Amino acid sequence: MSAAVAADTRARARTRAQWRRRRTVALLMAPWAIGFSVFFAYPLLASFYYSFTHYDLLSPPTWLGLANYEYLFKTDPQLWTAVKNTLWLIAVMVPAQVLFAMGVALLLSRARRGAGALRTIFYLPALAPIVAATLGFAYLFNPANGPVNTILSWFGIEGPLWLNGASTAKPTLVLLGLWSVGNLLIIFLAAVLDVPTTLLESAELDGAGAFRRFFHVTLPSISPVLLFAIVIGVIDALQYFTQAYVAAGVAQGGQAGESAKALGYPEGATLFYPIYLYEQAFGRFNMGYASAMTVVMLIVALALTGLILRNSRRWVYYQGETR
Amino acid sequence: MTLRATAAIGLVASAIAIAGCGGSSSGSSSAEAIPKLNTAEKVTINYWVPFTGSELGLVRKVVTGFEKANPNVKVNVVGNINDEKIIAAAHSGNVPDAALSFTADNTAVFCKDGTFLNLGPTISREGIDVNNFPPSQRAYTEYKGNRCVLPAMADTYGLYYNKAMFAKAGITAPPKTISELTEDAKKLTVRSGNGFSVVGYTPYIGFYENSAAHYGPTFGAKWQTSEGKSAIASEPGWTELAEWDKHLVDYYGSNALVRFQAGAGEEFSGSNAFMTGKLAMNIDGEWRTALIKSEAPKLQYGTAPLPAADGKSELYGGGYTTGNITGIPKGAKHPAAAWKLISYLATNTQAEVELANDLGNVPTWIPAREQVQRTASPQFQTFLSVFHNPHTTTTPVVPSGEASQKTFENYLEKYQTGNGGELKKGLEGVASQINALEAQATGGGVP
Amino acid sequence: MAATATAPSVARPRSIRSRQTRRSLLMSIAEHSLLIVLVVCFLAPFVFILLTAMMTNHQALSSDLWPSPFVPSNFVKVFEEAPIASYALNSFTYASLATVGLLLSSIPAAYALAVLKWRGRGVVMVCVLVAMMLPEQVTIIPVYVLFSKLHLVGSVAPLIIPNWFGDAFSIFLLRQFFLTIPSEYGDAARVDGCGELRVLTSVYLRLAKPAIAAVALFSFFYCWNDFFGPLIYTSENPANWTLSIGLSQFRALHQVEWNLTMAATLLFMAPVMAVFFAAQKVFIEGVTLTGVKG
Repeated sequence: MSAAVAADTRARARTRAQWRRRRTVALLMAPWAIGFSVFFAYPLLASFYYSFTHYDLLSPPTWLGLANYEYLFKTDPQLWTAVKNTLWLIAVMVPAQVLFAMGVALLLSRARRGAGALRTIFYLPALAPIVAATLGFAYLFNPANGPVNTILSWFGIEGPLWLNGASTAKPTLVLLGLWSVGNLLIIFLAAVLDVPTTLLESAELDGAGAFRRFFHVTLPSISPVLLFAIVIGVIDALQYFTQAYVAAGVAQGGQAGESAKALGYPEGATLFYPIYLYEQAFGRFNMGYASAMTVVMLIVALALTGLILRNSRRWVYYQGETR
Repeated sequence: MTLRATAAIGLVASAIAIAGCGGSSSGSSSAEAIPKLNTAEKVTINYWVPFTGSELGLVRKVVTGFEKANPNVKVNVVGNINDEKIIAAAHSGNVPDAALSFTADNTAVFCKDGTFLNLGPTISREGIDVNNFPPSQRAYTEYKGNRCVLPAMADTYGLYYNKAMFAKAGITAPPKTISELTEDAKKLTVRSGNGFSVVGYTPYIGFYENSAAHYGPTFGAKWQTSEGKSAIASEPGWTELAEWDKHLVDYYGSNALVRFQAGAGEEFSGSNAFMTGKLAMNIDGEWRTALIKSEAPKLQYGTAPLPAADGKSELYGGGYTTGNITGIPKGAKHPAAAWKLISYLATNTQAEVELANDLGNVPTWIPAREQVQRTASPQFQTFLSVFHNPHTTTTPVVPSGEASQKTFENYLEKYQTGNGGELKKGLEGVASQINALEAQATGGGVP
Repeated sequence: MAATATAPSVARPRSIRSRQTRRSLLMSIAEHSLLIVLVVCFLAPFVFILLTAMMTNHQALSSDLWPSPFVPSNFVKVFEEAPIASYALNSFTYASLATVGLLLSSIPAAYALAVLKWRGRGVVMVCVLVAMMLPEQVTIIPVYVLFSKLHLVGSVAPLIIPNWFGDAFSIFLLRQFFLTIPSEYGDAARVDGCGELRVLTSVYLRLAKPAIAAVALFSFFYCWNDFFGPLIYTSENPANWTLSIGLSQFRALHQVEWNLTMAATLLFMAPVMAVFFAAQKVFIEGVTLTGVKG
């Protein structure tokens, strides 16, 4: 066999192998590819299209041009309430959960006895189905008869209206968020325990106090996890739905006679963007307008996460990096 | 490359699928009569109703009467359905054969795109005289000439008052004007600690049956101008309602009132605040008489028409009415049998009498009135007379359904706790929002 | 500062030492008290829910904290009042079928992304990440329209089907884990003549069991607890309600029997808690995995 023929055979064998590999990859990725096209890419494009139409599922979409967007930005009275509420959530709930989880993780990392049991106790509420946890909380925080206000009254304190008060409803939801912080807590705990003890010890020997040790050793070390927590927190805040939906329904009471939903009770305080989106899409079947809302939500989500990730390069230290 | 091909195929395939099924065929309602029922064929139909608990059982009992009259038809009555579920079902094609709604707020929604079948031709074929329904009932069962639902039991609203408490406070007659109501409410309130053991009357919009629609007629306030635009800002009655509401809420203290209401017991449970003596007077519908009879029989109570706004005493005796509407969704599998059922419930005198007596509702079929009146309790008689009073009106049928009412009430809820800013500006804002909503609901964007 | 190795026991004045021990003692007391308060706050809700679940309806509406009389039969009454068994079956159907599909479709994708080299791998990875990071509502409307045209709305099918076509989060997680498996194992099998599929099934699957178990567990409980999805797709058809919908409707159906609602709430939480205690290690490891590799 001449060298050219041998080389040719090898080349053809290589190509056959390449084709075999490509076929394998196609096979392995096929389900995902279909899923991504049908359940992600297509909906994004379709939402964009629907946002320029009036569509209520009964008749074909009718073209409206920019009318939906005009209504959204200029006329819709509830939209800005929804936007403000969701922004409030991002500004308050995310830091609260992250800081609380980090704080409790630090506390737990120093516990010597019963660390496992403590971890379980703090993780348990996060296991509870959200509907169950919210229902329980709504009952506990009933301003008239709930255990929380009852116990406060033993100390002579008149408890606030919690989920029934326009200014106290969202803070109560934050309390619910803190109670369910178990997942973040576990992650932070693992990260804190992972901080190289050699670094901590040498810092201590150098005379650094607890605070400086935290800021200059622990914090940079757990910064990737911190970033993860913040990004997840922001995404959760953007899609926050179940707790608000269930809590508003419970707090307002079962006025089952009228089909009017309690969405946003009280006084629109719990009308978050996804709640309002749900009302437009599945309450009033304004699919076109609701699609415009999702397009706006998409842009905001991309912008926010992009911003956070870009900004993160300044303060996140990945393992093995030197700064 | 194969990946991109798969992705592309997926996209194209789904696009074709969607385009191919794009929109259900012809949104317009074909004005054809429903075919007559083939009495030899056995059918089972699904009837979606909002009733729950004991009321559901009573409705099933009446439906059994229908089954006896139509031996080959079996009806599966499903409870706890609200308007949203019906609309969702209509949009997804998973419809029952017939459905009933507690309010007429969504009549336009049901009628306008043919979501419910146009019953007009069938009504004329069967020779049903629609004048046997009172004018309000005729008004809220059609939209732009298309009658797609029948009325089946109506509700009217009035004042319930606790006779024992009245006697103790020395009040001899129920209040006829809003000022008298306010005065009596303050007299009957009993404070306890930081809260109340008895609240005289709470006007808090959003609590129990307090809503703008229910107060409209007695405040003489219309929803629409003659051009069909929102009259929230122009009708003085709405301003009076808002101011009275806020005045009384401030008297109790809005925080204290909210706290009271949070512990007040569910409206339709046995712990209803009026039935348990926590509320001395309450606005409620006629069905409450039946609930009191079964769940709080020892309660000494009286009923009267709702007090009218000061200076509008001619309106006293009237009130708000709305009622159940029942129709056949497009795509129902057995429309003929469904029609038999809903026409039975709406126009069969015996059925109407039975429903009225069992549920404590007002019959919408005028020929049934006489029988009901003969056996009605004195408290129920009030509602019968309110129902037939010429000043009794209903909310106009609008394409946005109840969204307009909700918009107004969202503002009132803020205003009554002091978060509503200046009233005039607030009401004007509401009016323009409602106008925009209606435009959006009819397929436009911004007016 | 010069790093002189001073013998620590020498010459720290007693006053400073006792001040330091006093400070650390105070710190320790503060920490322990804080921990105790937190533990109480975290556990108290469960306790109150349990107590309320055993009250009579009348007492549940009052501000009493302790049930008297005790009515543990509420837990049984809940089953009579609502078709809890049917709800649970629907939840289980949804969760199990979705999880199976998720594993079948995500494991191969994760393997291809982690182990095989091919053109476009980076692009796909970006797609997966983007899909992970967007709120679930941005794609909901056209998907709903799609299922509505297919007449699947009103059942749990629209909830199960997308999981059979890959789940971004699971793919990401599994891929990260696969990356940590040394390539020597796979290479050894390839040398023996295994095709890639065999390498995946006989080598990687076995080595990745903890990660797969964690992904399966997470998926199952995400579906078990899911509310938004069932709300949109099944709320019009009570026969197909899942536990989450059923529980939220419980009060509307029974006009606030708070005691029964709290009992139902506990029953809803119970399976999750039970599985957690049985598989604690998997849970905790899995959660850690998501955060550390994320």
